[in-house]
Amino acid sequence: MSKLGLVVESVDKYNQFVADQVQRARTDKDFGRDLVGRWNDIKAKIPTSRTPTGIPLPRLALPEIDEAGEIARYLFGEGLPGEFPYLNGAYREMYLEPIREVESLEKNGQAKKGKSAKKIVPAEEPTRLFSGLMLAEDTNERFHFLTAHQRTHRLSTAFDGPTLYGIDSDADGVFGKIGEGGVAIDTVEDMVRLYDGFDLGSANFSASMTISGPAPIIMAMYIAAAKRRFGPSVVPKLRGTVQADIFKEVQAQNETIFPIEPSLRFLTDMVEFTSHEMPRWYPISISGYHIGEAGSTPVQQAAYTLSNGFAYAEMFAARGIPVDQFGPRLSFFLDCGLDVEYIALARVSRRIWAIGMRDVFGAGPKAQLYKLHTQTSGRSLIAAEFKNNLTRTAAELMLAYMNATNSCHSNSADEPFTTPSEEWIRLAAHGQAILLEESGIFKHTMNMLSGSPGMKAVERAVEAAILEEFREIERLGGVLAAVEERYQRSQIQNAAHRYEEQIYDGTRPIIALNKYRNGDDGAPEVKLVRTPRKKQQLQVDRLTRFKKKNAEKSKRALDKLAAVAESGKNCFPALLDAVEVCSLGQITGRLQQVVGRFRPMV
Amino acid sequence: MAAPIRVLTAVPICDGHDSAINTINLEFIRHGIEVVYLGYHRPVGDIVRAAIQEDVRAIGISSYNGGHIEFFAEVVDLLRKKGADDIKVFGGGGGTITHDDAKLMRKKGVDEIFFAGTSLEEMVTFVHQRYGKPRAKRVKAKSVDQQLAHKLTETEDAPKKIGNRKSEIGNSRKARVIGFTGPGGAGKTTLIDELVLRFLQKDKKSRVAILSHDPSVIGEGALLGDRATMINSQNDRVFMRSMATRGQAGGLSPATKDCLALLASSGFDYVIIETVGTGQEAMPFQKNGLVDQTVLVMNPDYGSRLQLQKIVMLDLADIVVVNKSDLQRAKTAHTEIEQRLEQNRRSQRLLDTVAKRHRDPGVDRLFDLISGNSKSAKERRKK
Repeated sequence: MSKLGLVVESVDKYNQFVADQVQRARTDKDFGRDLVGRWNDIKAKIPTSRTPTGIPLPRLALPEIDEAGEIARYLFGEGLPGEFPYLNGAYREMYLEPIREVESLEKNGQAKKGKSAKKIVPAEEPTRLFSGLMLAEDTNERFHFLTAHQRTHRLSTAFDGPTLYGIDSDADGVFGKIGEGGVAIDTVEDMVRLYDGFDLGSANFSASMTISGPAPIIMAMYIAAAKRRFGPSVVPKLRGTVQADIFKEVQAQNETIFPIEPSLRFLTDMVEFTSHEMPRWYPISISGYHIGEAGSTPVQQAAYTLSNGFAYAEMFAARGIPVDQFGPRLSFFLDCGLDVEYIALARVSRRIWAIGMRDVFGAGPKAQLYKLHTQTSGRSLIAAEFKNNLTRTAAELMLAYMNATNSCHSNSADEPFTTPSEEWIRLAAHGQAILLEESGIFKHTMNMLSGSPGMKAVERAVEAAILEEFREIERLGGVLAAVEERYQRSQIQNAAHRYEEQIYDGTRPIIALNKYRNGDDGAPEVKLVRTPRKKQQLQVDRLTRFKKKNAEKSKRALDKLAAVAESGKNCFPALLDAVEVCSLGQITGRLQQVVGRFRPMV
Repeated sequence: MAAPIRVLTAVPICDGHDSAINTINLEFIRHGIEVVYLGYHRPVGDIVRAAIQEDVRAIGISSYNGGHIEFFAEVVDLLRKKGADDIKVFGGGGGTITHDDAKLMRKKGVDEIFFAGTSLEEMVTFVHQRYGKPRAKRVKAKSVDQQLAHKLTETEDAPKKIGNRKSEIGNSRKARVIGFTGPGGAGKTTLIDELVLRFLQKDKKSRVAILSHDPSVIGEGALLGDRATMINSQNDRVFMRSMATRGQAGGLSPATKDCLALLASSGFDYVIIETVGTGQEAMPFQKNGLVDQTVLVMNPDYGSRLQLQKIVMLDLADIVVVNKSDLQRAKTAHTEIEQRLEQNRRSQRLLDTVAKRHRDPGVDRLFDLISGNSKSAKERRKK
């Protein structure tokens, strides 16, 4: 049995454990009394917020229960926010605004002295907008624009097609694609320009890089760029994440450049390095987003993302990296669309992950957390009467925050046509601020919208369906075997096909497309973001100069890299040397000579 | 009845959005269209080369990552440059291609751009109406490959009329013809592509032709998808043609024999023919007499030992390959097939390969056997 089979067993066992605790609370008087005591204690310690209109609200909302069995079901089955099994949230407080006025409900005066005087550090803002366009300096300018009013600088980088496929801007047939849909990065010099003006070693800065196939090479470039600007001592301070999710690329997004096994090896090489040298870095972002965007159902998205995560954990553990070292550095990325499953998809995922990591992998508390970035669904946005996309995104944001996502990206309404323009990206960012800061929905009380009977019903249905998917993957021999058999790919494609059919036959209403259609489908006036030819040429010229300057050195570096790749040793240190003098395409090309190219699955 | 329309579909370089094109491909084949699918992340050169070799009526491009104005124009220009502007170009990209873009693209020679909201039905109708009429008289081919492609089309669309006539192109040097067959999913296509890589690396001049078969579905259409996985075979030194079986059982098409004869005398060093995934009773290469060497590619999961007795090709093949030999069952498979072959008392060869593995030593050995490398002769003596 692979670890995934054990995860299924562990969740079943845990659910039985919860049922047993409920039973015990009802039959064992002492146990029941203790639970009720603990419950009252928890309630008594909840501080109070005051809304702007003056009413007091508890900073944590709990169900109105006072019977020991129900209390056991809540505490063991869901957990308080920040407590195992983390159904309600990986952390406490999260979106709450810092306490202005604390009115402890504690009447017995047991609060420890000095505790109320403790200064509350505001959490990082959850807003993290995905951005990348044209050349490095253009994206850099966009980054500064986006973070101008933010306390914390959380950048999220989109790369252009050639970069995502590990090829250079001067490769045959890519002219026209340079800087389209993301930023063009060929060399470490581009990487320096990309994050210019940001303090990469600061505790208030983090960079996310959305790239998987060539992730180890891009990661090496990022480290090299940081070293050029801040010296070698910056490396352990670097914060951020690189996507590096090979499984989902093969399952859904098609941006894989090496065959699966060497891709996984290069990934593990990088994770081994960052686990030792960069304790604040997240070396992989296990992503369901692209699975969702490729057309999967919400359950498929959650199930494949989780099972991919467990497969990575198994792989990293097999390399000898301790689970409590790599576990806390794993993070997740989900899509949030309008289907009702999204009301609890991340909640259920968080719970399954925690149980599996604790009970199958022996992970400690920090390695049990399913830390989540959510993006609203790009696929749900349509071109017809595109301003409706604002409403779609707003509803999705609401669902994402109801799931206590740790960070979030809201899509721009103009996304069906183009890389978002400033006008619409600003509205997208404001959408989050309106929900979190302007409205009172999320800022006074944790759990404000958690645990409705409907939400519980969805949780149960979704958990059962996810476990059923796990069983199917296990029957096929585990995640890697299922991937090679194209299992997830076919399932996703089938779901995508069904979705289109539902739109076509009208059983899935899409407003202004198959329902309430205006009839007039005139071209909308959106400002398109396109990379001018002149800029594309500039990128090619820069690359040509870089290659010329490093012609001799790059040859030696590539030979050394190839030798390490052949030897089977960890490639990452050799990559760190190579990126100083080689372009992305040169490195990809050389590694492909050693390990081969990815053969697409049709 | 008119021959089915052949179109080629692809997604441009640096673009992995294949969800739309997958759906469109299926719709096309359901409506009688033969689709040569090239896959995603495909450069202009690969698309145009494939379109010319396959001699399709049109190329359909699905683009979502931007740069479409340049990309579509490059495809049109390259077709023109190669004297193949009778192959038309159409495409779409959801909302990413604006109406203004489309105007510009049409001006540059693109036939049609479909926008978001276009139904699959409209696309099918478009292809039938625009590309369904018989071809006008062909212009003189500008290259040997193009001439060959035209002839293959003639042969395929009217096999009986043309018959077994002699080829007029190329020299008469006969190529070495190798036939690959075996059940679906055994990895024939991947294995052939790995062999092609070795052919190309062995010397810098030789040329290889591939005649690949996929089944036609009811209603005449077919998804000819081998090119999408054959990454090494998209090369100027490889001429590849994908054929649908067009109603014939047994793994080949009614025109295979004539097409193969044409290819074998068209100046290639090697001609590889791949059947569709075959059943137990199939013996596709028996009667045509054109194949010099036959390779049966087996999947280790063939079921019980008894099943082996029923596979006719095990009696006939010169080389039997157990692919996916990294699978747990492979060792048993090798032993059982070895015993089965011993009954034949012929000098059949049995090899284990893992075609999906880069530089697999098993594939190297197969290549030596096929290409007549001296090393393999030595190896044979050793055994």
